[in-house]
Amino acid sequence: MSAFTLELGLGAVMLLVFGASLVARGRDRRWIAWLATAGVLVLGMLSAWVKPTPPALAGMFVQDGLAIFAKRLFLAATFIGLLAGISADAVACGRRAGEYHLLILSSLLGMLVLASARDLILLFVAFELMSIPLYVLAGFLKRQDEAVEAALKFFLVGSVSSAVMAYGLSFVYGAARTTDLARVAQAFAPGQPLLLLGLLAVFAGFAFKIAAFPFHMWVPDTYEAASTPFVAWLSVAPKAAGFVALFRVYFEGMGDRVATWVPIAAGLAAITIVAGNLMALPQQNTKRLLAYSGIAHIGYMLVGFAAASASGTAMVLFYLVAYVFGNMGAFLVVEAVARSERSEATAALRGLAQRSPLLALAMLLFLLSLGGIPFVAGFWAKLYVFWAAAAAGLYWLVLLGAVLTVVALFYYLIVAKRMYIEPPDASAGRIPLPGTLALAVILCALVVVGLGLYPKPIVMAALRVAAPLF
Amino acid sequence: MTRQVLSLVPELSIITWSPFVGALLIMFTARHRPRAVRWIAAVTTGISAALSVWIYAAYDQDTAGFQFYEKVPLVPPLGISYELGADGISLLMVLLTSIIIVAGVFASWTVTVRSQEFYALLLALVTGVYGVFVSLDLFVLFLFYELAVLPMYLLIGIWGSTGEVRPRGIFAWAFRETGVGTKEYAAMKLTLYLLFGSAFILVGILSLYVNAGAASFSFLDFEATAFPRTLQRWVFFAFYVGFGILAGIWPLHTWSPDGHASAPTAVSMLHAGVLMKLGAYGVVRVGMGLLPEGAADLAWLVGTVACINIVYGALSSMAQTDLKYVIAYSSVSHMGIVMLGAATLTGAGLNGSVFQMFAHGVMTGLFFALVGLVYEKTHSREIGKMGGFGRTMPGIATAFTIGGLSSLGLPATAGFVAELLTFLGAWRSAHRWWLFPAVAGTFLTAVYVLRVAKQIFWGPPSSHFHDLQDARGPEWVALVVLVFVLVLFGMVPGLAIAPVDTATIPLLARIVSP
Repeated sequence: MSAFTLELGLGAVMLLVFGASLVARGRDRRWIAWLATAGVLVLGMLSAWVKPTPPALAGMFVQDGLAIFAKRLFLAATFIGLLAGISADAVACGRRAGEYHLLILSSLLGMLVLASARDLILLFVAFELMSIPLYVLAGFLKRQDEAVEAALKFFLVGSVSSAVMAYGLSFVYGAARTTDLARVAQAFAPGQPLLLLGLLAVFAGFAFKIAAFPFHMWVPDTYEAASTPFVAWLSVAPKAAGFVALFRVYFEGMGDRVATWVPIAAGLAAITIVAGNLMALPQQNTKRLLAYSGIAHIGYMLVGFAAASASGTAMVLFYLVAYVFGNMGAFLVVEAVARSERSEATAALRGLAQRSPLLALAMLLFLLSLGGIPFVAGFWAKLYVFWAAAAAGLYWLVLLGAVLTVVALFYYLIVAKRMYIEPPDASAGRIPLPGTLALAVILCALVVVGLGLYPKPIVMAALRVAAPLF
Repeated sequence: MTRQVLSLVPELSIITWSPFVGALLIMFTARHRPRAVRWIAAVTTGISAALSVWIYAAYDQDTAGFQFYEKVPLVPPLGISYELGADGISLLMVLLTSIIIVAGVFASWTVTVRSQEFYALLLALVTGVYGVFVSLDLFVLFLFYELAVLPMYLLIGIWGSTGEVRPRGIFAWAFRETGVGTKEYAAMKLTLYLLFGSAFILVGILSLYVNAGAASFSFLDFEATAFPRTLQRWVFFAFYVGFGILAGIWPLHTWSPDGHASAPTAVSMLHAGVLMKLGAYGVVRVGMGLLPEGAADLAWLVGTVACINIVYGALSSMAQTDLKYVIAYSSVSHMGIVMLGAATLTGAGLNGSVFQMFAHGVMTGLFFALVGLVYEKTHSREIGKMGGFGRTMPGIATAFTIGGLSSLGLPATAGFVAELLTFLGAWRSAHRWWLFPAVAGTFLTAVYVLRVAKQIFWGPPSSHFHDLQDARGPEWVALVVLVFVLVLFGMVPGLAIAPVDTATIPLLARIVSP
């Protein structure tokens, strides 16, 4: 197998979807959605056989353990996102089904390339390939004012961040005289203001993409306005891609000099955790609540990043896995409830435990996982990043993060209270749940519980792929 | 430290997991069959109780140390293992848990609303409690701790009761806004406070793990490590705050009156009776046991805060008009005695502390069971409305009076032994003045306990209630068992002191002789 198997395969799937959308007639184009989903599923299975290969394209493209780990995660997240979209409304399966799926797949292609990019130019191109379809997708419901506003906001913030990143990259190139990241890392020494400035500007660009505070403004509006299965995917996959790129640029080959990033990352982590959790408190809309809590989660991952060690990196990877499934699952439950209640407010979840006990149980599991409670995946995720940070001596950050999880549990428990303690409306019956959406929720719940009971395989895999970076 | 001998029969595991198996059975087999639910609960907790009495008797006091040892590696690379063992202190606590849960199951025999979920959560919680008392692996201990704390949210939120005493005064608007007094408010407050504490515990455990250098979470391995003095101070402080919140230390105790007053009977019994001991046990076992120098350096803080607890809790209790709040604040006061005993760093004081954990657990369990019975019959918690119940419910009145006498430390009850030992310890400690607030607290306790008992049971009959009945059938089980234990351990304190002594002597030896 060549180093490009997954990318080429994805290209083939995209061509298929494109061809299909040319011949498709009629209003119901669900089969295109099935085609795309099946394609991603096949690629996902194929990724199980992908092995690390030596760098290709003169070192620009690496298929190492980290890249493969990340690509599997992207494929899994995309599969679940697409699966949940199939049962959906007109968005994913109507007349524009071809467009919708092509956009998601091209963004996915961007992520796949990004995970392997070890060259500044390829990195930037992959980043844009990932981002631009997202702007379009955010405004996909073009007849809704909120969606257009959200898309515009997302686009403006996103393009500014791309500009900042490109500007920073130009400094890096100017100082290091190479676009090869391996050689940039060698050239990097604390005494070089220009290179440091460039890398800091790039860092700010990344912070926009992963939505760290204060670069998060686009998140709540975009999440609220866009269609939920897409948001579920948007809230996790691009973030994961952003973190993988962060590791590539700031850790790989840096050796001891990674310590340079500790204060910046720790500060950003602290402020993101505090701001995300506090802003989530007053939210009455479940999607906005999850948006702000997602910002806080980015902060927790930055805690692992701030540890600047192999174990820290591995723990962020594990956190990403836990976060992907927990967060997507929560969004998908919101989607199921919103479809029947026509409301995304937390009040729509009232009495869910008595209306649909299993759906409520799944939501409770996701919330507990996001809150970091034992026996579900999120607990290990938080524990491991704290552990890595403690090993790096960042006790204050660990304490801050641990205390702020209490704030997070407050708003998660409010949702749990709505589901379990408040009684449902008298007329409310069972929530109808389409098969594919149910399957997606079940998959997420299985992963969350499975990792909660037996996290070892993923932890070990993450440790294995993170070790060569240092 | 000698190597531990593995136990042939996993007694501690059976005790710990039997209620959990009960919870699973209830969840999956007893849908819509409330009788079956109750019997499964009674049998599975009965198994634990019988076994805990058995191991209490079988504990070899001459060998001392941790016995009934079990160890199964869980995550070998990280040094996490399922490691259980019990010494004198843990045994007494396990026994206490068994007594309270059996009494609690019988006291909540009449819960009919969603009883399947109620009992399942209650039993899962008890597994967590047992687990904390017998775990020797700090990581597993932390997991059990969380298991013991989290079901509380739903137990109070769903089955709790909302107080009828409305807030007044200049902050009434703020109270109304946040819903003070409602069960939802109490449930949320309790959960957040305790999770706030567990954040400190987690940081403490991680910092010990990182600094010990050995890839192990085992209590025995940590015990063998000498940590630097500054680290010990910080980590002891973290454990003190973290576990101390659950033990109700002032000023972080405010979750406890609200939570206990709003919780359903069995949950109040278990929470005030056992869970608060979990906190005190954590401070003694993990804090003092692993960080002797830190404990010695911070004993002044622990003891002084404990004195505030004793007096402040008693004064608050005197001011309450809601019966459940009186009992709840008395717990705050009595937990002060527990912490004071530990802070004296003397043999008598520490024994008194552990004995008080046990005595207060039984006592407060009895109180909450009685209050639950009174509430069930009168549907009121307002002391002012009640009166003269001694005639209509003599059994409940007698039990309440015995509990009250133990609470104020009358000889021949367990409360007396505990308080006497603690006071003795305080007098022998480096801070003699601790004795005075402690004794004053006992006096105040007498005031509010006797006032309440007189008003409710022995005063002139109230015109608000008619046709009140005494306790019936299964309800008697709880009362008789608890009163019996209270008097038994008051008459024969050696039953508890002997095994506890074997655990406190080595603990203190590490603290006093550096």
